[in-house]
Amino acid sequence: MGKVCVITGASQGIGRAAAIRMSREPDVSALVLIARSAPGLEETAAAMERDGKEVELIPYDLGDLDGIPALVRGIHDRFGRIDILLNIAGYADPQSLLDTTTENIVTTYTINVFAMLVLIREAARYIADRPAKILNVASTAGITSRPGWLAYASSKAAVVSMSATLADELAGSGIKVYSISPGRTATELRRKLAPEEDLTRIMQPSQVADVIAQLMSDAETTLDGQNIVVRMRSQTGG
Amino acid sequence: MKIGMIVLAGGIGKRIGRPFPKQFLLLGGKPLIVHVLEKARVIADIDRVVITCPDAHLDETRRLLANHGFDARFSCILGGGSRQESTYLGLAALADCGSVIIHEAVRPLVTVEEFRELIAAEDPNVMFGIPIPFTVLKGHDYVEDLLDRDELVNVQLPQKFDRAKLAAAHDAARRDDAFFTEDASLFYRYAGERVRILPGSERNIKITVPTDIVTAEAIYADVIGRGG
Repeated sequence: MGKVCVITGASQGIGRAAAIRMSREPDVSALVLIARSAPGLEETAAAMERDGKEVELIPYDLGDLDGIPALVRGIHDRFGRIDILLNIAGYADPQSLLDTTTENIVTTYTINVFAMLVLIREAARYIADRPAKILNVASTAGITSRPGWLAYASSKAAVVSMSATLADELAGSGIKVYSISPGRTATELRRKLAPEEDLTRIMQPSQVADVIAQLMSDAETTLDGQNIVVRMRSQTGG
Repeated sequence: MKIGMIVLAGGIGKRIGRPFPKQFLLLGGKPLIVHVLEKARVIADIDRVVITCPDAHLDETRRLLANHGFDARFSCILGGGSRQESTYLGLAALADCGSVIIHEAVRPLVTVEEFRELIAAEDPNVMFGIPIPFTVLKGHDYVEDLLDRDELVNVQLPQKFDRAKLAAAHDAARRDDAFFTEDASLFYRYAGERVRILPGSERNIKITVPTDIVTAEAIYADVIGRGG
């Protein structure tokens, strides 16, 4: 059996592009796609090049942290292994400090940080007996000052820190942990956050997905534990 | 032939100066004992792993086994009042094994390759040893005699033995009320058979005193490629 690749946030944006891109990888035999939106997952699956690969769609709200252990256990029971975990699901509702509600802060951190951490913890229980890779999607917002994006930007900074620490902590267990920080990317979320922007002039999700696929290949052995900024050369503000 | 492994985890941490047992100290963010068990996990030739620990640490060790995803190959048993007694109990728990590997939880930098080398060795009874790079003398308050360090070897774990013969040697030692600090000595004295010495590694240090963990962190950083 080939590799089993689990992708969160696969119903749109970078998650969908990553699912489509990873479906072209010859050594991946099964893809498990997780997102809140069942219709979104169906759309992603329809765009994938399945070519005999198994594709399982799991509509799941990662805000339910308590259910994640059973979610991961179910995936492992079904496929017998987890080789790649792509943590792409994200949440953003940018507000200025005094307009940021506690609910906004909690939701942002729950999806962007806590769910990711719990997913990694649970996956690591099952993937420790063979080489595996985990990739976490942070953001350039996590490595620079972003007034008005306090909850999101700081949550992504946490992703960068968490990834670096886990890369070292899991290195001896054969698990490589990567983090990427994409700049402005033409996703549905970006369309909502910056409606005036011409999305054709900024980085496309498929370009980020290409980077993800390269990092997840067996040939890549040196970039884990480092935050990798993914940004189009022409971008200056992202 | 089945191969069993005993992991001695009986320390109570007196010499390390911490209020908890050494095997639970973190190295690179993971308990020392987990480093050892992870190496054993990837070696399919090892059929069973028995961890001997004091009553006070059984629950904590079992919790670690569950949290870190170790399967039914790994189990905890109650150790004895001494290292030798714990080994004896481990040997009894692995009665269905023809060969036994003995290691200790506080040597976390052992490598998978070293375990494989031990298993592949033709001799049934094998230990790792490294030269002694400093001068040693016999004596306490005064020098009582000279020792030739070229004739000496620094004993390391892991070790491998014919399980039945080591168990018989332990029985004989118990009858004599004789105690040893490790099993190559006991086996040599009571089984009367040769113990092969394989070249060990300076990196396979035992965490005994507080500075050892500092040294181990530096070695581990190099092992995982974070050495600079």
